[in-house]
Amino acid sequence: MTEKANENWEPKIIAFVCNWCTYAGADLAGISRLQYPPNVRLVRLPCSGRVNPFYIVKALQEGMDGVLVSGCHPGECHYISGNLSARRKFAMLKNFLSYVGMEPDRVIFTWVSASEGEKFSQVMKGVTDKVKALGPAEKLVKKL
Amino acid sequence: MENIEKQVREYAKKLLADGTVDVVVGYEGGTLPFQTTPCFITDPDDAKRLVWNRFCSVNLAKYVHDIIFGHKESQKRAKPEDRTKKKVGVIARGCTTRSLTIHLQEKQYDRDQVVIIGVPCAGFVANKKMSVAVDGKEVIACSVVGDSLSVQTKDGGKDVPLKEVLADNCLTCRFNNPIISDVMIGEAAPPMPDVEKEYEEVEAFEALPVDERWAYFTKEMGKCMRCYACRNTCPSCYCKVCFIEQNQPKWVGVGIDETDTQVFQFMRMFHMVGRCVDCGSCLEVCPMGVDLRKFLKKLDKDDFQLFDHRAGEAMESAPTLSVHSEDDKEAFIFEP
Repeated sequence: MTEKANENWEPKIIAFVCNWCTYAGADLAGISRLQYPPNVRLVRLPCSGRVNPFYIVKALQEGMDGVLVSGCHPGECHYISGNLSARRKFAMLKNFLSYVGMEPDRVIFTWVSASEGEKFSQVMKGVTDKVKALGPAEKLVKKL
Repeated sequence: MENIEKQVREYAKKLLADGTVDVVVGYEGGTLPFQTTPCFITDPDDAKRLVWNRFCSVNLAKYVHDIIFGHKESQKRAKPEDRTKKKVGVIARGCTTRSLTIHLQEKQYDRDQVVIIGVPCAGFVANKKMSVAVDGKEVIACSVVGDSLSVQTKDGGKDVPLKEVLADNCLTCRFNNPIISDVMIGEAAPPMPDVEKEYEEVEAFEALPVDERWAYFTKEMGKCMRCYACRNTCPSCYCKVCFIEQNQPKWVGVGIDETDTQVFQFMRMFHMVGRCVDCGSCLEVCPMGVDLRKFLKKLDKDDFQLFDHRAGEAMESAPTLSVHSEDDKEAFIFEP
């Protein structure tokens, strides 16, 4: 509550990224010295198919303002089809989350390949702007 | 219906007498006049206890899974060559056969372990709707006469149209006849009246503003006291260790925190993607009357609209999350 009043509030965003594409994309963005907002914390996973929907819901419950999941483009998965089965899960999860009343922009899915350093920084900017516009998360957040 | 009941008893007796099955899972009369309870018949002479009427509510597929797995567990220490398989007969209407199909697709047991006695179904009476119809009075006797339900309470009799007390999931049921069966008893039932209005409720809810939806969700989940009856009765909830009881990692807190309840319900429902057959068991057993169907039906709707799949509709139709395709819709993907 006190945070909301604060004009300098910065969102906390967690990103589950795949080792082979998005994490390498983040690396490239770093090497290319691209600027992007520092609000996003990356968690490296073997594949976007490794992302249990529970991770996303738990992250929201534990007070993250936004969750981003990013993997290889469909058809380019290191494990052939991990991102394809992930895509089905995420399609259902995103719809269901917004159906129960969660703001749709809190949870974002995207694809960033290893060569897309520029896109990575664009995604980070886009996600941070979207979550900033929503303000601090209040729904589903566990208050201790 | 009496005729079907008679044939069910005869067939169950025959199956038990000639040793085709070890146990028949069916319904028997409950302690209250409008109740039935699942029963497990092992003696052919007990087959006369079986009933089949409008009050047979819970999905029996759960018990088939429980019996087979309980038996499997008991055989753990037996030598592999001494192990036996339990064979179960089950009285199954449309939704029960859909759940059995899901079990078979998920390779829980073999097709020859279950003998499906298919029965046509015209919907069951939801006990919560009936309580409302008689203003919460105690029901002394209850019987179906034609298209209405004649209820006797302490203050006299009342005739309630069946359509008013049938469970919501039954009124819009698309699969009221068995999908798979070893024997079909009776004629196929006519389609239910409101099949085309299946998603009306979900669409109305989708049209509400986001905060109203959240308010409704929190209100409903606020009722939940986490007795886990919904999980215990759900045929698709058969994990040996449920995420609720897991403690490494501990997914959901066990306290009274409301977000823990919301997360529990949300994730349990999410586990029903492409697996909820809309049998209404969870609603029937819920002691607090949580409106779970409003949310579960959404998963069913998305499943059908995005992936053209309905849970347990046929053995060949693979479960949603176990298959994928290059051309799945991905309108939700964020592109900066």
